[in-house]
Amino acid sequence: MSRISQCFKRLKADGQTALISYITAGDPEPWVTVPMLHALVDAGADILELGVPFSDPMSDGPVIQKACERALKNDVSIHNVLDMVATFRKKNTETPIVLMGYANPLESIGYENFAKKAQEVGVDGVLTVDMPPEESNEFLPLMNKHGIDTIFLVAPTTSTERMAYISEHAKGFIYYVSIKGVTGSAVLDVSEVADKMVELKQHTNLPIGVGFGIRGGKSAAAVSEIADAVVVGSSLVSCIQEHADTPEELPASVAALLAEMRHAINARDMAR
Amino acid sequence: MQDKNGQIIETHSISAGLDYPGVGPEHALLKDIGRAQYVSATDEEALQAFHDLTRIEGIIPALESSHALAYASKLAPTMSSDQILLINLSGRGDKDMHTVAALAGLSF
Repeated sequence: MSRISQCFKRLKADGQTALISYITAGDPEPWVTVPMLHALVDAGADILELGVPFSDPMSDGPVIQKACERALKNDVSIHNVLDMVATFRKKNTETPIVLMGYANPLESIGYENFAKKAQEVGVDGVLTVDMPPEESNEFLPLMNKHGIDTIFLVAPTTSTERMAYISEHAKGFIYYVSIKGVTGSAVLDVSEVADKMVELKQHTNLPIGVGFGIRGGKSAAAVSEIADAVVVGSSLVSCIQEHADTPEELPASVAALLAEMRHAINARDMAR
Repeated sequence: MQDKNGQIIETHSISAGLDYPGVGPEHALLKDIGRAQYVSATDEEALQAFHDLTRIEGIIPALESSHALAYASKLAPTMSSDQILLINLSGRGDKDMHTVAALAGLSF
């Protein structure tokens, strides 16, 4: 069983909703990424999403676009991102890591080479936005071979047929994009998302994570009632942008922000 | 167009329709099987061709098509007089007036 599946199994047994944090690797400085990851785990992140910076992040809003620009100014490549995971794993062998990004940087080093290295350093899953299952004939078996979970997106506009198709190929968890838009562009409508969760659960036994429109403890807690995992990205990255000039303070700042959401989710989990 | 890390490289072209770092799969295949040859023209050559067709024929070509016209003016002298040269004028240039005017230092 993969580290991601184990994590969800343990949380389910404890009656807890998973909290997934997203930051972009190398933003604002490469050295601060690993300390931030450790701080996020300490503040209550169950799974870490680490963004692989890309020049054309088509599903991301301005906040994460700028994070990619800052990281690319530091010449952060896929090799650097894998090195960061290796460094993180020296101290933490438990928390699952998902690399979120786009196909091009992975293709540039070859999918097989990427899968092999990712497994070696301790990556648990990949969410490659522009690599839907329909386009993954080559990619998917390679990731499976190396024990990397392939996480796919389901959107509010996804048809029932595609939901079934995606569910067939997904591993680890399914990521539900809660808004019709890019990351951080709006706040989700909880009742709309709840209806979709019911529909999606008919096609899959995998846990479902909800992201793209969660901002602050209140919406995080509301989503925790209907989803297996809450994904928080743009609000953490906004905090990083704000404190980009004082990177040494960042681990504490992002941890404080995430802790607020953790507490809100825990309070809601306990009340259930 | 990408760097060694798979990051997309910034492009430049005088024509917005060509200012793009990718190539479609059909063109890529046609090039690979040798059925089509792909050539280039500079901003200056395209602009010259734009003015030439406008002045001589009274037809304002799109800046994208102007690249084809620029290459045609290089190719034609190498051909014999009974060969036929066909140019696809893919778009009209009235949409490009502001670009051409700005380059000429004019403002409307």
